[in-house]
Amino acid sequence: MNRISPRQLFFFLACVAPVGKIVLLPARLAEFAKNDLIFPAAVHFLVQALLVFCVLLLVKCGKSFYELLEDTFGKIAAKIVICLFALFLLFAALLPLLEQKLFVQSVFYDTLPSLVAFSPFFLFAAFLCAKPLAGFGRVWDVLAPIAIAGMAGVLLLSVGSADYAALLPVGAGKAGFFEALRTAASWFFDSALLLPLLGKIDYEKGIAWKGTLCYLAGAAVALFFLATFYGVFAETSVNQLFAFTKTSKYFSGITVLGRIDYLFIFALALVMAFYCAMPVQACVECVNEAFGRRPYLPTLLSVAFAAILFTLSVLLDYRFGEVLFAVTGALVWVYPVFTVLVPALSLLLRRDHAK
Amino acid sequence: MQSRFLKTIPMKLYVLLAAVVIFAFFSNDFGLVDIQKTAIILAVGIDRAGDGYSLTTQIAVPKGSDRTTGGTSSVEIETKGATVSDCLTELEAVTGWVPKLVFCNLVVLGEDAAKEDAFAALNYFLRNEYMPDSCLIAACEGKAGELISSQSAIDDASSLAITKLFSDASVKSGATLPNSLKDFAIDHYGASESGYLPYLRAIRQEGEQQAAGGSQGGGGGEQTPQNIYTAQETALFSKGKLVDVLPPEQTFALSLLQGNVFSGTFSAEEKGEPVTLTVLEDDGGASLSMDGGPSVKLSLRVKVRLCCRGLAAPIEDVASDVVPQEVLESAERVLSESVGALFERSRAAGCDVFFLRRSLYRSSLRRYAEWKDDLLPAIVPHIETKVVSMH
Repeated sequence: MNRISPRQLFFFLACVAPVGKIVLLPARLAEFAKNDLIFPAAVHFLVQALLVFCVLLLVKCGKSFYELLEDTFGKIAAKIVICLFALFLLFAALLPLLEQKLFVQSVFYDTLPSLVAFSPFFLFAAFLCAKPLAGFGRVWDVLAPIAIAGMAGVLLLSVGSADYAALLPVGAGKAGFFEALRTAASWFFDSALLLPLLGKIDYEKGIAWKGTLCYLAGAAVALFFLATFYGVFAETSVNQLFAFTKTSKYFSGITVLGRIDYLFIFALALVMAFYCAMPVQACVECVNEAFGRRPYLPTLLSVAFAAILFTLSVLLDYRFGEVLFAVTGALVWVYPVFTVLVPALSLLLRRDHAK
Repeated sequence: MQSRFLKTIPMKLYVLLAAVVIFAFFSNDFGLVDIQKTAIILAVGIDRAGDGYSLTTQIAVPKGSDRTTGGTSSVEIETKGATVSDCLTELEAVTGWVPKLVFCNLVVLGEDAAKEDAFAALNYFLRNEYMPDSCLIAACEGKAGELISSQSAIDDASSLAITKLFSDASVKSGATLPNSLKDFAIDHYGASESGYLPYLRAIRQEGEQQAAGGSQGGGGGEQTPQNIYTAQETALFSKGKLVDVLPPEQTFALSLLQGNVFSGTFSAEEKGEPVTLTVLEDDGGASLSMDGGPSVKLSLRVKVRLCCRGLAAPIEDVASDVVPQEVLESAERVLSESVGALFERSRAAGCDVFFLRRSLYRSSLRRYAEWKDDLLPAIVPHIETKVVSMH
């Protein structure tokens, strides 16, 4: 059965979606908002929660995003919009992917490994993306406990080393609040990820507010992680890339037991691997639907997109700083268009009759 | 709609690909290190050399091939460069070894490097993702290179002997105040712009003894002076520069104020004779108040028992660990004097060792802006010391 149950969706919103925000985002937030880093993140989470609510209201009509567009604007316009949206998803996949690549190479290897270390991911992504998007439901069933265990482990080992007083005084980072808000936009596209899932989610009463609550629960954990991160590193937080791999290593038991925190870090890294592939799969789904769901098209598209991303990752191997600068700077306006405007406006689409 | 082709892809392929990804992510190249090509750095000593730096690295080498036949063998190599990074590049150039800092657990700053600017010397280590920021950091008398290269009387490598000084037991004794690269950086980059490091000195052992490796050669081995090390003093830093060194009794007072001490000892007097007390409970702290002008309450409440008298005593006295009132009063006096001297010394040096500016910053931005430059000179200390007997 290629449907996503509400439970699986809630697992994604509560457990998987927050994991993408704990790699490079904390240091970027600290760079601009300093000890007030949780506030811009909270604003983004609240906005996304509202948009998740809007998108999930569309579940009831049972139509896919493409069908909603087609019913409202006609075939041609729907194809154009969905292709633009798919392009955005491919673009949005780049940052988490490069982030993950850099993280694996820097944290899991003592010296810079060869490209081979990360390249199997693209093979994996190509296979994963060739599967129907609804298949992600089963993946979330498996990933949710792994994410919970990973996050709980990292937080448990970190809280003892955190000085939460470092978050004071509130307002010290207000000068950089808007800059932090702008930069962080590149990490918040969860509502946009839900749009390609429309038509594949089983409806249940109250799914919109339940989903929103789950997303907010995940957001609360992510915000607590941000607070802990700043508590551990205080003024040096800005220098701490790959946040979730660092906060737990000062746990006093580690000197005796060794880096047991790696078990939890591995768990979160595994969840992130799937999270990174999700925008690509959503992109494949969008294009596939727009072009009539031909046989072999998903396979061809997933191989092509994985190849594009692999090529980009090779070409941009030593240019991550420039990519980050561009994605969170000159190109950041793309995100509000597709992650705020499109999900919000989707409520205006015609949904008067079920498929 | 799902193609027939995709439907026939077995689940096994999914599992196989996931396994390949997990293998690639987490194998860490099986943790294999080619020791013939890698310099596993145990410790570094940083000194100023003209406008640049001199870096002495202690590198672990395979056992049995060098100075010792057991324990940890090491060689020390000194390189020079405009920056610490240049020194490491030079190390690679002259040895052919790729420097590996993952196992570096000690960074020692020479006196000149610490006085000029510790964070200029530490810049490389703060940037390096492969350097553990939990590594111990210390300042030392004279040249760090000489300290790192010196022969220890108690261990094969000087760095291993030095890190023993910073064990949990040493910290609880209050004899030393270790610091890590991470915490030293947080203190420096915070509102207080101050910090402290243990101050190392090498103490040459009386008489010259044979080096550990030399003794195996039989007859006429190289005579190397052996050293033990002390870290009972504490170097104070302000704006990254070493500004003063606290003597052992003030280091102990600072440890007490941080609430670190358990089973540490200090001496008081009874009728002019020394009495050693053991600290069993330590509750110390420094709290800032801005009401009616800035003031700080330095409070110490320690519970002690009698550990040792400097004189012979009746067996009934030996059997008792009750501390006489006179000794408690003397202990309070001793600790109050140490805390007072510590406060005045750090204030004179411009080092906010109690992180009062940070407290003020966290409590009120407005008051911090008003007082940040004048807080230390203006602050009035109130010292409250209470020493009680365990029984």
